[in-house]
Amino acid sequence: MHRDPLPPLNRRHMLHRIGAGFGTLGLAGVMHEAGLLAPGAAQAATTSPLAAKEPHFAPKAKYIIQLFMPGGPSQVDTFDHKPEIKKYAGQRPKLVDRKTLRNTKNGLMPSPFGFKQYGQCGKWVSDIFPRVGARVDNLCFIHSMHTDIPEHAGAILMMNLGHLQPNRPSMGAWLTYGLGSENENLPGFVAMSPRGQPRGRLANWGNSFLPGVYAGTYVNIEKMKPDAILRDLQNGSLSLQQQQRQIQLLGRLNRLDLQRHGQDDKLESSIQTMEMAYRMQMSVPEAFDVSRETKATLDLYGNSEYAKGCLLARRLIERGVRMVQLSHSIDSEDIAWDTGHDDIAGGHAKLARACDQGIAALLIDLRQRGLWDETLVIWGGEFGRAPTSEGAKGRDHDHYGFTVWMAGGAVKPGFTYGATDRFGCTAVENRVHVHDLHATILHLMGLDHTQLTYRYSGRDFRLTDVHGEVVKDIIA
Amino acid sequence: MIFVGLASIAWSAEANFSTDHIEFFEAKVRPLLSTHCYECHSSRAKTVEGGLRLDARPLVLAGGDSGAVVVPGKPNESLLIKAVHYQAVEMPPSGKLPDDELAVLEQWIQLGVPWPAETPATTTEASNSKSYDWDKLRNEHWAYRPVQRPALPQVREVHWPQNAIDRFILARLEAAGLKPSPPAEPRILARRIYYDLTGLPPSSEHLEEFLQHSIPNPQSAIRIPQSGYPRQRVISNVVSRLLASPRYGQRWGRHWLDVARYADDLPHAWRYRDWVVDALNTDLPYDQFVRLQIAGDLIAADTGSIATGLFALGPKYNSDGNDPDGIAKAKGETLDDRMDTISRGLLALTVSCARCHDHKFDPIPTLDYYSLAGVFNNTENTDPETGLHALKDSGSADMPVALRGNLRKPGPVAPRRFLRILSGADPPSFTQGSGRRELADAIASPHNPLTARVIVNRVWQHHFGKALVRTPSNFGALGELPTHPLLLDWLAAELVESGWSLKHLHRIIIGSAAYQMSSHRDEKSFQADGDNRLVWRMNLRRLDAESWRDTLLSVTVDLDEHLGGQPTEDILSRRRSLYLKVSRNGDKFATDEFLRLFDFPLMRATVAKRPSSIVPQQYLFLMNSRFMTDRAQRLAQRLEALADNDQDRIHQAYRLLYGRQPSPEEQEIGLAFLEGKSLSSNQQPLDSNQLPQDYAQPDAERKMTPWQQYTQVLLSANELMYVR
Repeated sequence: MHRDPLPPLNRRHMLHRIGAGFGTLGLAGVMHEAGLLAPGAAQAATTSPLAAKEPHFAPKAKYIIQLFMPGGPSQVDTFDHKPEIKKYAGQRPKLVDRKTLRNTKNGLMPSPFGFKQYGQCGKWVSDIFPRVGARVDNLCFIHSMHTDIPEHAGAILMMNLGHLQPNRPSMGAWLTYGLGSENENLPGFVAMSPRGQPRGRLANWGNSFLPGVYAGTYVNIEKMKPDAILRDLQNGSLSLQQQQRQIQLLGRLNRLDLQRHGQDDKLESSIQTMEMAYRMQMSVPEAFDVSRETKATLDLYGNSEYAKGCLLARRLIERGVRMVQLSHSIDSEDIAWDTGHDDIAGGHAKLARACDQGIAALLIDLRQRGLWDETLVIWGGEFGRAPTSEGAKGRDHDHYGFTVWMAGGAVKPGFTYGATDRFGCTAVENRVHVHDLHATILHLMGLDHTQLTYRYSGRDFRLTDVHGEVVKDIIA
Repeated sequence: MIFVGLASIAWSAEANFSTDHIEFFEAKVRPLLSTHCYECHSSRAKTVEGGLRLDARPLVLAGGDSGAVVVPGKPNESLLIKAVHYQAVEMPPSGKLPDDELAVLEQWIQLGVPWPAETPATTTEASNSKSYDWDKLRNEHWAYRPVQRPALPQVREVHWPQNAIDRFILARLEAAGLKPSPPAEPRILARRIYYDLTGLPPSSEHLEEFLQHSIPNPQSAIRIPQSGYPRQRVISNVVSRLLASPRYGQRWGRHWLDVARYADDLPHAWRYRDWVVDALNTDLPYDQFVRLQIAGDLIAADTGSIATGLFALGPKYNSDGNDPDGIAKAKGETLDDRMDTISRGLLALTVSCARCHDHKFDPIPTLDYYSLAGVFNNTENTDPETGLHALKDSGSADMPVALRGNLRKPGPVAPRRFLRILSGADPPSFTQGSGRRELADAIASPHNPLTARVIVNRVWQHHFGKALVRTPSNFGALGELPTHPLLLDWLAAELVESGWSLKHLHRIIIGSAAYQMSSHRDEKSFQADGDNRLVWRMNLRRLDAESWRDTLLSVTVDLDEHLGGQPTEDILSRRRSLYLKVSRNGDKFATDEFLRLFDFPLMRATVAKRPSSIVPQQYLFLMNSRFMTDRAQRLAQRLEALADNDQDRIHQAYRLLYGRQPSPEEQEIGLAFLEGKSLSSNQQPLDSNQLPQDYAQPDAERKMTPWQQYTQVLLSANELMYVR
């Protein structure tokens, strides 16, 4: 069944109402009638740890879609065009004579891909990203990213946790902790990937020492059956009507228990939570049901697994989910873009082909639906790849310089910030460390990264540890 | 402020420069350094490149990763000058400096690197010279002062106290104008004691026995003199029986495994877990319990090695490439896990904070961190072929301080010895092997002001739900102050004098009137002290994941209680939840998933206190999981055998689950539910067009009977999930 798109302004509001409306009347009605709703119980839902919270200051964006590219996409073969590499092909100028992970000693290797200029801004983009290329006037590039170490596990965690080891909360957990979620019938933070999970797995969306309620919910977008989305989402032995009676009975019994022993906030909120769980059984399958999209929308995204993830990401943030982390993977790889070691031409082309249309469609779709201004899209890997060659056709890791781009109303469109050296090896101009990126993302979401803290083991922790400076120049 | 002292020390030996030279520095050199160098080589650099900072004279002289960069008076021998000439390296990378600026730098070095006296920004290097007045510091903060058994305070309501604990509690309540809650009704109290000591509810037979021996009206108990109080005798008998039960070790072993951040990733890990359970069951004195876990292999090689699993099973951080920085960071992180576990877990000190810089708030210098880390730096794990994971000594060398926590940047050597804040200004160095044996003795000493306080506080927390020091793993300046400091010390002294017997501690805590109070909320007291810091009532507690699951198995008489052995990955297993398999990252096993859902913490670091979250996913588990529907079916089956009509079965269900009779209202709505009647005149059944599209109707084969649906609700009720 296809539905007419709602007018953009009302759409989110409407979806929230639909999501929150299921089954509420039944239970709330019973409790009102029995005089069981304590004064203030209506607000109990808003005191839940996932309730939407006020940011520190007016935010530029309210939702995040992170298009994570684990494995390290090569900057000089995608968005950081360096024509001078060709001039010095095979040579190893001092600028690029830096230690790489595998101590490669080869000379410069020109990109196997052609580059074209796109859009009003005239940005050069590699031929492997033609559809994203066509959207460059909407994108904000940071070419001067750098990170601490050239190893996948550590650098992936650095990108998603701000720490090299898996003992810190993920950025999405921090955001949900800071801002809550706008739809209490869905998880506040959803992590998705087709089959392969990024290296480090759970840690990339984990809550670590933050309360468990802020952990990302992982969804394998390969299998879209409701039970694979959230565990125990449906009961094979009971109908929803039967469950509704059970929930009513349980509510009554818990209320009687409460009356016998005197008021208690925890027990009060447990009754609200139980009711919400019942509703989630209906809101979650609906939110993940892409068959409800129009043919035009489905055609726009195309058929790839990653595109399906992009479309789901849009459906989720449309329903108030705070952050969606969508990791790229093909062939169940945990660091898919690492094919760059031995074959940039083949590996990178295949990976880009698997995500180019989906990403471009997401950008178009967000604009068409009026979601653009509130959504921050972030594309990038954990580091980049060296402009010199590894073997005959590959490139080794490069943590000295790489590219991340962002999109959405919060950042300057058609804008480029920072630069690597003339060969694309090292970030030299307006350097941005991953900590700075995190500080900036939190800032765009209305959070001061030095103030978003959580006390654990005797000290206040933050996403940016003791680092991080907001990159003000990219803010729209 | 911290660095005022060090600045004077650091600068006392500096050369005096003429005003002319200082002016030359300020006018020419400093602006040049600031413009071209400080982005990467100063406190304002995001990452200090090459370990080199040029924003203070001692730092300039100290050099960076590649050694000294200036030789005062000798520009030609100075690496800095070579670098700016693009000879050795090329600095600054943005482009070569013009000749006149090169000349300025050469002249500056020629003049002996003139610099005005000033306080450098915070640096680890400089702070090693910070001085601590240890005797003074030990006296300033409560936790470092020696434990002294305090006198019992006077109270007005002399009949309330059952033992010394109550004198401390009541004195504070009376001073605040509050009254203790009345005693809990015997049924509630019995449940509380059983859960606290065994993690399981009393069987209905045990409960009935307890109730028969208790006095009928608990309200009158307050006026009965202590000596002739039968309730105390009944309680004391039950406590003795439960402490002697192996279930006690299964329960309290789990509490310790939280502190030990125990996980089952390694194949023989369970042997350490079983050792802990056994140690608690035999009431191994706590000081020996600690000693063996640190140095068991050195104390009793045959039996003690297994205890060192506390560290041998700890997380080992890896680096997945061959990047030297990555390898050094992983090693540093592994070492830090040991530091963190031993210091927060046993001493409630956040020694880890001193890994990169002197502790900002507590008197723990970085040097002391590496004094302890050096012990574990000389320790390795045994080959698991021996069938267990244990520690053994691998050397006897002091390690250098790792500057800014970076093991690739060694600083001064730290002698292996105990923390100075606990042992005085000049503690003896550890000399035997790694020094673990000496470290174990220092921690398990009755003179250590923290060890006994920390464990009695943890025990108190598990009995009351809230600890006396509410940051059980941080007694430092940023931790909370004890709500009852005298009581904490009295308990600590009592523990040590009892020969470190934890079972003795349980007996006196449970024997107190404070423990036996009701959890009922009194509005006046709640307004005055909503957080119950003065302990005017018992705290309401939700069962942890293990107790709750064990309860559901136990009420259907399905619980398999045997001790020890390999863990299971099967959530449907009938074994006690202590034996559910747990992975370090909490993401490997189905059992991880269940436990994490009910707030089982991540076993990456020592756990001070479990959170108690209420999230919808928990209710999805209650409504839909196979585990729950299995339990519901088993209970329905059991009830069917116990009675032959709905009314009697409801009575049996309430007796088995809650140990009481159903109220008329509970009886009535139970029957209404079973007969398919409306639960309310205003009920609005779910409209079928509200159902999601494609909603799969349940499998007709697997339909649950009304009784199974009803028992599922009774098993999901708060009354079963909370201890009052």
